[in-house]
Amino acid sequence: MQTARESMKSAAEALEQLEFAQRSFTVARFKRVVIAAAIIAFYLFAGYLVQFDLGRLAAGLPKLGHWLAGAWPPTIAELPIFIWRTAETIAMAAIGSTLAVLMAFPLAVLASRNITPFPRLYYPARWFLNALRGIDSFVFALLFVAAVGLGPFAGMLGISFHTSGTAAKFFADQIESSNLGPFDAIRATGAGRTTALAFALVPDLLPLMLSTSLFWWEFNVRASTVLGVVGAGGIGQELKNSMDLLDFARLFTIIGVILIAVTAIDWLSGWLRRRLV
Amino acid sequence: MAAKKARVKMRDVRHPRAGREYRTAPRLTSEANQAPLLRVESMSKAFGQRKVVSRVSFTLAARELVALLGPSGAGKTTLFRCCTGLLEPDEGRVSFAGDASGRQRAGPRPMAIVFQDYNLVRRLTALENVLGGRLGHLASWRGILRRFKRADKLKAFECLERVGMLDHAHDRADRLSGGQQQRVAIARALAQETKIIVADEPVASLDPASAAGVLQLLRNIARSDGVAVICSLHQVGYARTFADRIIGLAAGRVVIDARTDELGDRDYDSLYASGSPLDGVTMVRPHPPQESISST
Repeated sequence: MQTARESMKSAAEALEQLEFAQRSFTVARFKRVVIAAAIIAFYLFAGYLVQFDLGRLAAGLPKLGHWLAGAWPPTIAELPIFIWRTAETIAMAAIGSTLAVLMAFPLAVLASRNITPFPRLYYPARWFLNALRGIDSFVFALLFVAAVGLGPFAGMLGISFHTSGTAAKFFADQIESSNLGPFDAIRATGAGRTTALAFALVPDLLPLMLSTSLFWWEFNVRASTVLGVVGAGGIGQELKNSMDLLDFARLFTIIGVILIAVTAIDWLSGWLRRRLV
Repeated sequence: MAAKKARVKMRDVRHPRAGREYRTAPRLTSEANQAPLLRVESMSKAFGQRKVVSRVSFTLAARELVALLGPSGAGKTTLFRCCTGLLEPDEGRVSFAGDASGRQRAGPRPMAIVFQDYNLVRRLTALENVLGGRLGHLASWRGILRRFKRADKLKAFECLERVGMLDHAHDRADRLSGGQQQRVAIARALAQETKIIVADEPVASLDPASAAGVLQLLRNIARSDGVAVICSLHQVGYARTFADRIIGLAAGRVVIDARTDELGDRDYDSLYASGSPLDGVTMVRPHPPQESISST
């Protein structure tokens, strides 16, 4: 009772104190102003770097509208080739992601502090994974087009190298945070390291690994539509050809096919993942 | 507050089933003069400056259940980890009946371990977990692909039957209760076909009824399979009910090594009073007060 009345009295005081603090100059308020100024400066400079200019967008909009108008009717005649190329993209993503996950598993073991057989290689392995992750599949595809020639195979290699880095880091983080009790228990029955890994860790991690692999497949289908631009196969190639020819009916037909395929795969992968976990 | 809690715990220990059924089991008398299955000689282990286990020696004989007692921090877990090869002792040696140990390589191990938190593979069935105990006897590809021989499967089913879990053979481990999981873990230890079972606080996570069942099971295994079982326990009551022999550890040293029926209340009192990190604050020690135990 006593404390309640006291706090009632001090509530008015507290408000007065707050108002006083808001009127006066404090270090905290000064700090806030500096931070706000820094953020505004950052965006201004970034806008300068990207040559931000709404006038140019306004000038370009009619052009876009004109193209959209010219996009009808869609190019039905070439639909089979578009579907074939889209299938190529999906296949690139599927095989690329699968190879990536297969490569990721041994890499993840090396990059997991708690189970690596070579603790000295832990940091090099982590650096290697960061390098794989840091280089986009697009950049890898550029390299592989130069190395193995034009076509979806180069694109698939690009996808698998980049994704394997991402996947291995994810798996390694999972392994590092998982309970090693069962692994130690199986080791203690006299099983070798590989056997114990396969017997004690893989069953618990597998559903998660499969579901994330499905996610990468889905992600790579979306990401790899552009790989065709550098000649690494798939639907991106046709997309670039249409743009170069300013054939907008063809371009929008292709975009339509991509949207349908991506939506279908998102749905399929989501359904499969829900069933796994 | 703390004393009240301890008394409630004691009442659980004096569970009627724990009191009546199990205490009447025949005591062991003449096994001590058998050749030991396990001999630990002056084992020491220090972490930095702190000596956790110092010059510990003991032996284990076939058919006996030995309880390792001691206050928290007495070195029980470290001693077990040194004995089982999970830790390298600074000094001393472990020898087994038959051959000297060739540890840390793939192949059957001389002792099986039962853990406090079971350590089953959660998404595998009870049967598959028990088959895990056969891995030391098998080519590694069989373990990796989980393809087992018919004889091994039969062995695993037999082990599950021994622990009363045959009906749950095809249940996933994470669907089982704590007591059931510990039974499966014991079946896995049985499947290793070792002569020594080391159980590190096997009942610390279990309710009193399951705990008594698990300890009874361990003792039956010791009796009928000629296995030596050593088992660290927190509750003196369980140790007195189920163990043939007590090894008391305090501050890393063996202070008691005697048959259970030779020990009186005063011995247990001194064990928990000496060298405990809770010295001087014995009122809040995590173990039940002695006067309650004497009435069981």
